[in-house]
Amino acid sequence: MKALQAEIAIFARSTFLQYAALFQWATVRGYVGYKIVLPVTQILFFVELGVYAAGSQSALYFALGNAMQITANAGIFGVIATVANERQYGTLPILLASPANRLVTFMSRAVVNVIDGAASVAVGLAVTVVLFGLDLHTANVPLLALCVLTISLTTAGLGLLFGSIGLVMRDAIVIANVVYYLLLIFCGINFPVSRLPGGLQVISYCLPLTRGVEAARLAVAGGPINQVGGLLAGELAVGLAYALCGYALFRVLESYSRRGGLQEAY
Amino acid sequence: MSSLARAAFQAFWISMRLRFVSSFAILGWLLFPTIFAAVGLYVLVRPGVTHSQLAYAVLGGGLLGYWGVAYLDGGLSIQNERWSGTLEHIFAVPTPLWVILLGKVCGSVLWGMLSFLPTLALAYFGFHAVLPAIDAGPFVISFAVLTFSFLVVAFAFAPLFALWRWALPVLNGFELGFYTFCGFMFPIAILPGWAQPLSAVLAPAWATRAVYASTTPSGPHDYGVWWLVSVGLSLLYLAGAVLLYRLVDGRARKSGELALA
Amino acid sequence: MSSRPQAAIEVRALQKKYVTWRGRIRRTRHENVALAGIDLTIHAGELFGLLGPNGAGKTTATKILTTLLLPDAGEAWVLGLDVIRQTDAVRRRIGFVFGGERGLYWRLSGLDNLRYFADLYRIPPDVSRRRINGLLDQLGLAGREHDKVEVYSRGMKQRLHLARGLLNDPEVLFLDEPTIGLDPVGARELRVLIRNLADAGKTIFLTTHYMFEADAICDRIAVIKKGAVVAEGTPTSIKRMVENQGVVEFEVVGISADRVSMLRTLPDVRSVSVTERDLAQIVTIHCANPADLMTRLGGVLDGISFERISSREPTLEDAYVQLISDPS
Repeated sequence: MKALQAEIAIFARSTFLQYAALFQWATVRGYVGYKIVLPVTQILFFVELGVYAAGSQSALYFALGNAMQITANAGIFGVIATVANERQYGTLPILLASPANRLVTFMSRAVVNVIDGAASVAVGLAVTVVLFGLDLHTANVPLLALCVLTISLTTAGLGLLFGSIGLVMRDAIVIANVVYYLLLIFCGINFPVSRLPGGLQVISYCLPLTRGVEAARLAVAGGPINQVGGLLAGELAVGLAYALCGYALFRVLESYSRRGGLQEAY
Repeated sequence: MSSLARAAFQAFWISMRLRFVSSFAILGWLLFPTIFAAVGLYVLVRPGVTHSQLAYAVLGGGLLGYWGVAYLDGGLSIQNERWSGTLEHIFAVPTPLWVILLGKVCGSVLWGMLSFLPTLALAYFGFHAVLPAIDAGPFVISFAVLTFSFLVVAFAFAPLFALWRWALPVLNGFELGFYTFCGFMFPIAILPGWAQPLSAVLAPAWATRAVYASTTPSGPHDYGVWWLVSVGLSLLYLAGAVLLYRLVDGRARKSGELALA
Repeated sequence: MSSRPQAAIEVRALQKKYVTWRGRIRRTRHENVALAGIDLTIHAGELFGLLGPNGAGKTTATKILTTLLLPDAGEAWVLGLDVIRQTDAVRRRIGFVFGGERGLYWRLSGLDNLRYFADLYRIPPDVSRRRINGLLDQLGLAGREHDKVEVYSRGMKQRLHLARGLLNDPEVLFLDEPTIGLDPVGARELRVLIRNLADAGKTIFLTTHYMFEADAICDRIAVIKKGAVVAEGTPTSIKRMVENQGVVEFEVVGISADRVSMLRTLPDVRSVSVTERDLAQIVTIHCANPADLMTRLGGVLDGISFERISSREPTLEDAYVQLISDPS
């Protein structure tokens, strides 16, 4: 029991320190800029675009979609940035040469980002409700909260995969940016997935967020719990698949780097 | 004078060469505007689309990209100088900082114009969307006024990156806000009342309005007013920038943060 | 305004402190004194060394003199020009090298780096072309100038830094720890280059924490500790500060802190330091009377085996160690 408590304490301490040491926005100013202003302005922009295209009744559609997508900010940027910044600061070899439990080290990078992502969504939704006077009286709030948490987990799973790629690619943070913005097209954030060409829809359903956003829209509309639950189960499965691939890749690349040496970022 | 011009040109040329080998800089004009253009086209281009909406769909992505690159690229190059440890060296040369930054932001603006290539191609080939009309003379002048406003804003913001380590996260956070308040992808007239004064003080917002007016046959065409207000605001920003550059030199040297990444 | 001095570099009562903030939400302000009021005079053509441990204020002093930093108080002149108010004029006539891995455009070639800075220094194109070619030859970079800096060795990068620092043919050159991180051969080559530049008439202000380096090439040295100059003079005169002292050294395995404290209480002992070497410790004792000390060692080290005991004349390093560790 004591050993378990010690492990949990180490896990908690290391996740916080990783976050604080490696995050550009681990200051009040940085946090406000990246985690509050950016998400709120994203929601504002797309809501206005939607209102211009389809009238004010579409505001909630765009607000909800973009609020959900914001979790990916933490889940993807946050996790990839952790690895990328380890390379930038030159601490990656030290980490990999340590006896730290790999699974714990790997997964701990996502934990704080999951919480961070959920918090960002909450802020984004709260601001848009105030700014646009959105009516959420039909919403199943606990179910919506579950959707938010699920999406935070699954986008972190995607982040873990690309974070592992960041071990060998110098510009992993570039990948983070590309993936984050591509989600705007593929995941039904601003328009239904059905409007995409058939081949691209396959990509949509292989990505996290797609089912989660659909579930969130149903939860807000007061849709049936079993339907929402089915979508969330699918969402979790996708996220887990990405996380497992990411972990497997992490171990493979770690072994590769020990044989061939890591290419350090300058 | 010729040595200053040469220094500015070198700053422009070196920054362009560094952009060509930077994947992030290439994505800045190639991918990100295209993504926003795609979203805009999917949202706006639908049965019953108006001429105005079509114009915003076709040009919006390019304008977003143009702004996004110009607005932050100059400052990002300062940030990169800081990360690579060359910022102190830039400060310590006899060429004034504003000359070096002028060269860099000219490069930013030129680089940003590339955003129109992929976005217009996507509009045409992907959505068969073309501008409903174009009044060439006003369009060209409006675009020039817009470019001038971008240049001035980039020039005015760039020294913040030298002065303040947290300029990037803060200004990055406001990027989408500028998309909104400048009316790059929808008219600012649809914004809530509280947002209108914000748009009114932004030089690019007036020039953008003129650009779109020249592509739609209907609606007001008060080009003269819009150009004048945009240029006037830009000149005000320029005056502010002069003060900012003086402040930056003193404050950066006092704090010793030039060397800090 | 004070009268303009005639020395190449003149510093009077220079002070600088840095403000740092601790904590994330409730932030507290802390001040770190980098320079506590230093005075220095460096004459034209001198190779002057500023010695000190990490954090002593060497880089701060260098940055103030190169116009990158403003002092909080005091005055400084380079070539009779005020570094605070006449920055442009100072910048045209000085060069500086901070060295290290940073400070170059890695994705550009060495030649491009030099050309860029030549234009920023507003050197006419024909002059810069000639000068760059000369510097590439002089610093052993000829033939590699078209390679990107990212493939340069550490020593080559340092030489490129030096080439950039010499582009405007400065009268005064500031070198901040120029040999740090270099292998012994590379470091020695660079020292020879630096000495040659001084012999050619340039005034050189060099900071280092390698005592042997200062001893080998500097005409005069100042030792800085916690932002204050604790000694100034030629290497010989500084060594004379420990003239009437000697050094006793011996190797021991497993000496306790108590025994070290006992050594410090012996008569005429100035300082005792212990350095680890593999499994053993090397104990170095600075004292006034090495012969007397050696007779007393047996009593203090009773029960401990020690070997390779020797006494020697103090070196500049010994003087330096004493100066920076002396609590007075």
